[in-house]
Amino acid sequence: MKLTNGLSALALVGLAASAPVAAQEKPASLGFGIFTFTSGPAAAYGMPGKNAADLMIEEINAKGGIEGVPVSATYVDEAQGAQGVIAEYRRLAGDAKNQVMIAALSSANCLALAPIAEQLEVPTVGWNCDTHQLLMDGKSKYVFRPNGNTVPEFIAYAIYLLERKPDVKTIAIINPDYAFGHDAAKIFTAALKALKPDVQVVAELFPKLGSPNYQTEISRLTTARPDVVFSNLWGADLENFVRQAAPRGLFTSSQVILALGETVLQRVPLPDGVIVGVLGDGWWMSPDAKANAETAKFAESYKARFGEYPVFPSIKMANTLIYVKAAYKAAMQKNGGKWPTRAELADAMKGSKVATLTGTTQTRADNDGLVDQIVGVTMKAPAQPFPVIGEMVRYKGDSLMPQAGQDPLAWISMLKPEFAKSLPKPGSYK
Amino acid sequence: MRMILAAAAVLILAALPVFAPWLQFVLTLAIAKGFAALGVAVLLRAGLISIGHAMFFAASAYGVAFLARAGVNDFAVLLILSVLTAALFGAVAGAFLVRYRAIFFAMLNLAVSMVFYALCAKLYGVTGGTDGMAVPIPGIFGVVLAEPAFKSVLFYLSLTLMVLVGFAVHRYLNSPLGHALSAVHTNEIRLEYLGIPVWAVLLIAYVVSAALAGLGGAIAGFAIGRVVPEFAFWTASGHLVLIAVLGGIGGVPGAFLGALFLELLHSAAVTVTDAWNLIVGVALIIVIMFMPQGFYGLLSRKEASSL
Repeated sequence: MKLTNGLSALALVGLAASAPVAAQEKPASLGFGIFTFTSGPAAAYGMPGKNAADLMIEEINAKGGIEGVPVSATYVDEAQGAQGVIAEYRRLAGDAKNQVMIAALSSANCLALAPIAEQLEVPTVGWNCDTHQLLMDGKSKYVFRPNGNTVPEFIAYAIYLLERKPDVKTIAIINPDYAFGHDAAKIFTAALKALKPDVQVVAELFPKLGSPNYQTEISRLTTARPDVVFSNLWGADLENFVRQAAPRGLFTSSQVILALGETVLQRVPLPDGVIVGVLGDGWWMSPDAKANAETAKFAESYKARFGEYPVFPSIKMANTLIYVKAAYKAAMQKNGGKWPTRAELADAMKGSKVATLTGTTQTRADNDGLVDQIVGVTMKAPAQPFPVIGEMVRYKGDSLMPQAGQDPLAWISMLKPEFAKSLPKPGSYK
Repeated sequence: MRMILAAAAVLILAALPVFAPWLQFVLTLAIAKGFAALGVAVLLRAGLISIGHAMFFAASAYGVAFLARAGVNDFAVLLILSVLTAALFGAVAGAFLVRYRAIFFAMLNLAVSMVFYALCAKLYGVTGGTDGMAVPIPGIFGVVLAEPAFKSVLFYLSLTLMVLVGFAVHRYLNSPLGHALSAVHTNEIRLEYLGIPVWAVLLIAYVVSAALAGLGGAIAGFAIGRVVPEFAFWTASGHLVLIAVLGGIGGVPGAFLGALFLELLHSAAVTVTDAWNLIVGVALIIVIMFMPQGFYGLLSRKEASSL
């Protein structure tokens, strides 16, 4: 590491001597604008991301920073709404020191920031937002998302469910009442209908985001008696829902799918057999993650510092920082060791393939990321006081994604049962 | 004296983005909210508090987004049509809302605006739900500008409109129609005996205030580039009332002063701490405790003492 640093410094000196105009000096420090929820109810999801960023940046700086330049982050609270987020984005982008923006958690904020990122030509990496609309036009030059989108995330659950419970007849959905909840409901139902046309949706409930009480919804769900209950509730909403639904027997009368269930494993006692996943491959205990010494170290220092193991939003953030770091390396290799410009960084992200803490992320031509999808069921583990994910499957990222530019819902409706048969089976990922 | 002060303030505003380019967006947004708060202040003249004016703000911004989606791509046309949309919303809602007073007026405005909010958030197929709708950069009289140039034009146009519209509203408030508003506040029955239809006076004021909120909403929509249902949420309406009260309800500059103060305070607070809400809240309490007349009260009081 030291040697390469020395070499690149030498190369830099050499280049600086030969082409003084084009050469860019390494700055004394490097800034990232990191956008996440640090206040309000969504902080339940945003803070693990911020914690991971803190830890990851500390680790990067302990190793000498990115290509020898120490990193500092400016956090922006997304709870102030699109207006404040945009104002902060513009302020941070105005400072040349802030070369990359890691934004954002909320899909609405990503959609609002995307045109500004293109106009101001600032590389912007969506660390969590996953609406399939973000990169749909395929024209993005500066907006990247190494974390995949809603389409593979929710198709994965439909495929896993049909493998595990092939005779499912009726499903019910309870999702939060905003774009993420509606998108997920649409994608999950479309995939199920394509793969098993006789499936019926018996209830579709969209409680308000941040509801403390789900008794009415639980009554509806228990009287509808569906074979399967699907939900992408998250944060405190999910915790409340689980605490209220468990005593009323919802988990025994129906097969429950909690798409973001991994985030509450360490907080509420989920019964065995609930289908959960991580909207990607970011499960810190997956076989790939366990085989990676860096991941194990990250998980342990996270636990030591924050009292909890990293949940998948933490991993998504950590992976995003690794992605950005890799872009610096690639850009400097390409331009002969000079400090990269924003445009060169964006160029380096295009089409890149980066090894993360939990797998790889491949950036396609439309700047959307291909990541694998891990789905499994909750089960007790002797080594941990909380349930873990077992019977796992790991679907390849590109197998669940429509081609760039294809209408996702039209693509989903063309899926055939044979397609699901060709994919790995539950329990195959050990 | 006051004219000089106002002119100096406008000049300072115009010059600020040259030194801190990122401020341009904040200031554009502050002026946009100033227009909406001015709309609220007009009704406050008649003693009517509307906790629902964010609806007109949002209606106009959505108007821009829908018109742009339908293919209208001229800045002036978009701006005028969207303000008219807000005015139309105002005429429809105002037709029955101005029959109510006090808490009933405030609550009914709130209710209507929340119905509008719910529609924007729920009609996922039409409005894009909580992800909202994009507002593209329109051409200005056929000239297509790049983003930075357009945002500069937008800022200086908002500044110009602030002066022109501000002056027009000032004239309106000092016209018989405007004085009738204060009369509604003091003695409504006497006004009827004088032969002035209170309903018409209030409806005109309501439509004017809706149009002002709409103007602000359209500017905000262009500046942000995206419209989301939160524009119409009741907290946004409360925010507008707060700005109006903060600035002082005595005159036109108050609304803009309040908006500038609140936006700049917010921008400063979020850079300091995650508990930015606390800073904003404490600052508001201090202003309300020590300046019951608002910022505008400071100016007008000085004026009075110099007489």
